[in-house]
Amino acid sequence: MITVGVVDDDRMLLDGMRSWLRDVPGLRLVASTATVAEFLATTCGAVDVVLLDLVLRDGSVPAQNIRRLRAAGSRVLVISTVPDRSRIVSAVAAGADGYLTKDNDLPTLVAAIEEIAAGGTAHSPEMAFACAHDDDPARPRLSPRELQVLLDYASGMTLKSAARRAGITVNTAKDYLDRVKAKYQQAGRPTYTKTDLARRVREDGLDGC
Amino acid sequence: MNVGSGLQRARSFMILATMLYRASHLVIGLFAVVQHRPGLPVAWLVLLAAVGCSVWVWGGALARGVFSGWAVWADVVVSGCVLPFVALEWGGPLVPAADGWVMLLGTSAASAAAVAFGRIALAGAVVVLTATHVAVCRTVGASAVALDGHLISLASSAIMAWVFWWYLNRQGRLLDAASARALAAEAQKARYAERIDHYRALHDTVLATLTAIAGGVDANSPQVRERCGREAAYLRRLIQRTADEEYRPELGAALERAVRSAESLGLRVITQYHNLPEAPAEVAAAVADAVTEALNNVRIHAGTGRAYLTATGVGDRLVVTVVDRGRGFVPDRVTRGLGLRRSVHARLAEVGGRAVVDSRPGEGAVVELRWPE
Repeated sequence: MITVGVVDDDRMLLDGMRSWLRDVPGLRLVASTATVAEFLATTCGAVDVVLLDLVLRDGSVPAQNIRRLRAAGSRVLVISTVPDRSRIVSAVAAGADGYLTKDNDLPTLVAAIEEIAAGGTAHSPEMAFACAHDDDPARPRLSPRELQVLLDYASGMTLKSAARRAGITVNTAKDYLDRVKAKYQQAGRPTYTKTDLARRVREDGLDGC
Repeated sequence: MNVGSGLQRARSFMILATMLYRASHLVIGLFAVVQHRPGLPVAWLVLLAAVGCSVWVWGGALARGVFSGWAVWADVVVSGCVLPFVALEWGGPLVPAADGWVMLLGTSAASAAAVAFGRIALAGAVVVLTATHVAVCRTVGASAVALDGHLISLASSAIMAWVFWWYLNRQGRLLDAASARALAAEAQKARYAERIDHYRALHDTVLATLTAIAGGVDANSPQVRERCGREAAYLRRLIQRTADEEYRPELGAALERAVRSAESLGLRVITQYHNLPEAPAEVAAAVADAVTEALNNVRIHAGTGRAYLTATGVGDRLVVTVVDRGRGFVPDRVTRGLGLRRSVHARLAEVGGRAVVDSRPGEGAVVELRWPE
């Protein structure tokens, strides 16, 4: 059983998620709150996958939200209404394991949750597009092959056709996409220190759980 | 500042005018040497040095569009000050008709200095040239009237060139400011028209739907939900397009029309834009037509309800892809390629672009449009 949480301040979306996920076998929605602090206060022990709204109205920083949830032992699938590219990139760098727009259908969402719960990455064209067209001069260096697969996947192609066009297997193509995510996370790591983590854990009151 | 600006045109004109002034002095010099000193090597060398120095100064200015301050200083010193003394020292007994032309070089050097220098440097150049004239006239024992004539023509060359340059420079700047204002006004007008377009579209779509739901239409019926989904997609694209800092209305608006016509026929188009480059109206129209045809192909042949459209600018180049994850085809022997071949390839080729179609059975299809090719 995969435990799932939702952090979003849109009431309608929370209600919709609850009714959506209620009937999905293998998933259990254990908490849905409007802020990360609230979420961490109500859940004790790790939730496997948290669906996190990219931009919450409480003024919190997406990267910080993701780090706090990861520090609490959850994996994070970021969702948003509009694919805001620079925020998607910083979410990936902060440790998000996937990104989806909110207009995706239930099977896509469930597949993403299952992929992330199994330790993988839920790739989406939007996430690939944000990384492929990242103009930040500090962006990690991608090899030409990685960039080609990333661009093809970002354009909406299946992994299979992106792999064929690059002359590689589907598994290798997926490795490339995973590697892009890993490079971003490595580049984003300096702000993610052990003391930072420990402080967060204390702040969130997790050590008393 | 670009090449065609008013300021640049003023500058080019002054380079040309002073160049003609110098050329007239060199022609006088050529006649003087041919007539009076054909057998004297030094006279030819002086003429050659004056020609070389002039070619260097004005040739460089024409090539770069602006005088080089160092080159003009070198001309003031060499043509205006050194050559008269060379002619004086080694040219044998001076004859005004034969050697007077060398003194003229100083006046055209002063005119170039008036364009190339600031006020202080110009005053410095005029002082140096005046001193040369006075020294040369004293040495050859020229009359006071001749010296006065030389000095007046030197000063008036500098002053006239300076006044012309000041006037044209000012006109050029005014012209540039006026065209910048006109451009801004044009852009403002285009933005306004674009906004009105958006309001109209929002009125016909989102506002109409929300009003209907508020009025009690069953929001859960499949038709209303489908319509809501389509309009949410429209708003999403709208936000993405306006968020693009380098947003160009023409291309974005043309693509938007293509997407909306496909969506109105029931195809979901997931759209992503990035850095759309500036493209002429006919290119925007051709790309949008090709996209429309590619989306039509997806809708009719691919057996899928969704397509992906991406439009990105890579430098000045536009790359647009229409991708589906449908049933695909063998690219070489497609009857359905007729539409693709005619509408997509031909349409893009017309405006200097290129279309590439890639597909395999079971793998969906990719139509990639590039402009310029």
